Amino acid sequence: MTAAATLPRPRALTFGNLWLSGALLVVIALYPFVFGKAMNFGVSTLIFAGLAMSWNILGGWAGQTSLGHAALLGIGAYTMTLLATPERLPAFLPAPLAPWWGALVGMILAVLLAAIWGGLTFRLRGSYFTLSTIAVALVLRLVAINSEWTGSSEGLFMPELPTLFGLDLFDRKVEYGLAFAFVLLTLIITHLIRRSRLGYGLQAVREDEDGARALGIDPTRMKLIAFMISAALTALGGSIYAVYLQAFEPHTLLELPISVQIALMAIIGGRTSIQGPLIGALLLSIFGELFRTVFSSANLLIYGVLILAVTIYAPNGLMGLFRRGGLKLGVNR
Amino acid sequence: MDSASVTAFFQTLVQGLLTGGLYALIGTGLSLIFGVMKVINFAHGDFLAIGMFITLALFKAFHIDPYLSLLVVAPAGFALGFVIQRFVLARLGDRLGEGSMLATLGLGLIVSNTLLLTFGAQPQSINVPYATSTFQFAGVQVSVSLLVAGLGTLVAIVGLNLLLYRTELGRAIRATAQNPLGAELQGVKTTQIQAIVFGLGVAFAAIAGVLLMPLLYTFPTVGENYTTKAFIVTVLGGLGNLPGAVAGGLVLGVIESLGAFYISNNYRDAYGLIAFLLVLLLRPEGLFGKTVKRV
Repeated sequence: MTAAATLPRPRALTFGNLWLSGALLVVIALYPFVFGKAMNFGVSTLIFAGLAMSWNILGGWAGQTSLGHAALLGIGAYTMTLLATPERLPAFLPAPLAPWWGALVGMILAVLLAAIWGGLTFRLRGSYFTLSTIAVALVLRLVAINSEWTGSSEGLFMPELPTLFGLDLFDRKVEYGLAFAFVLLTLIITHLIRRSRLGYGLQAVREDEDGARALGIDPTRMKLIAFMISAALTALGGSIYAVYLQAFEPHTLLELPISVQIALMAIIGGRTSIQGPLIGALLLSIFGELFRTVFSSANLLIYGVLILAVTIYAPNGLMGLFRRGGLKLGVNR
Repeated sequence: MDSASVTAFFQTLVQGLLTGGLYALIGTGLSLIFGVMKVINFAHGDFLAIGMFITLALFKAFHIDPYLSLLVVAPAGFALGFVIQRFVLARLGDRLGEGSMLATLGLGLIVSNTLLLTFGAQPQSINVPYATSTFQFAGVQVSVSLLVAGLGTLVAIVGLNLLLYRTELGRAIRATAQNPLGAELQGVKTTQIQAIVFGLGVAFAAIAGVLLMPLLYTFPTVGENYTTKAFIVTVLGGLGNLPGAVAGGLVLGVIESLGAFYISNNYRDAYGLIAFLLVLLLRPEGLFGKTVKRV
């Protein structure tokens, strides 16, 4: 029995056309004009869509399932907020740092963490990496809850932020723009990866690690690069999320369910396609909103049902179903 | 060291060993499932939560003593696990590993959110007269409930060993673990065996839930924490290594207890996680035994 028989075999990343991405972006851009009253939902949905896209660079392209992305999200959110409210770090910082620079610092920290974490754990295969992501995220959560400078269990609050080009960052319309830019960035990067050496290398590693190695591809290096890109983007999303929340606590931001939610959005949508995570995030968010009164806090129930159905009937997610159903939108293979 | 600090040390150690016994019980169920089916059960803690909530419901409705409810919970857990493996997870076919991990993650979400819809989010506990009773042994205070939990673990694990090594069913289970195809060719109904094994694993988790109930509050998402503990225990002991899981459970209990007492109670959950990461990085085959002895 070969290894190929034991693993789901995602085909090439199809739906790689720009048309579908463009259509989705148009829909997203039109949302505020149609649903101007439901901006909270719009902003949080877009942020999670971008996070699912970021997750997928590691989870889909490199095939390394992380259930610890809340840690990277948290690094982005905490770094930006702490640097914007310097009274918490008097020894380091004389004046508040603008949120965009804070977001950049957060991204750098997340990349560093990913480099160390991936460097240590990518020697292990399969589920071991996933288990390590849970542990790392839980340790960071415990640190955030128990440290004075991270606001312990009460978390952090940003009373004010400087304006960006004269725009108030706490205005939901501006935040929608930021979240839109975040989704756009993750989409562009995913499209770029698809066409690059990195993309082909990652697919080769995901499909057959030993085979890729035989072709001269360094699997650990490939996974590491994917992890670092994913970490940087997730931290950026975390910073935007912090602006949207304005006040957050470790119990809501750094919990395992957040990591699970991001991962499942991507997997249910279809991690072997470019737009799968985006579509998964949009659909699941809309579903959650529609049934919010029915399920209230049990909103992850639908995630559980769908992921079970997807793993049994559609290993390549909803986008994989479309392809199998003959709805071939520019298959590139 | 003066005698007071010696007593404190032994007090902490005993506490850790007894808690560790429960962790061993939880980890053994997870390791058994992994050993036979190579499935990392992400719903393990949620099955434990089911055990806690059945105990809670029986106590609230009929005032049934938590230990008596074992008679209901253990068979119910077995039946649940059997059905899940036979009719849900078996459908994954040969897509094990990643696929089964995500499927059990989904099962766990379904269980915890159903509990949330049924019982509400507020923590609940049962009030039994012996909940806080303790006795003195050589200067060390021992909680009666915790001791019962330790003894329960011992019975369950000895029972499992007898089953695995003294019965025909156990032989079939071990054969399925070692080589499913070979076992099938020898006339073992492996799908049946796998369902039995999953049932046993879930029953172990549910029994641990019952034993915890007199000691702790329960709430629908309590399982998350215990799933993590089960991972720690099995990785410390080596995935699929049953004696390793027992040792791993005891080690985790002692690490947590000593760390909480001598370093900081706030980081109680972190010590196990750090040990877990270290073992994962330095000795992925587990602390005990170079060759992984599977079931």
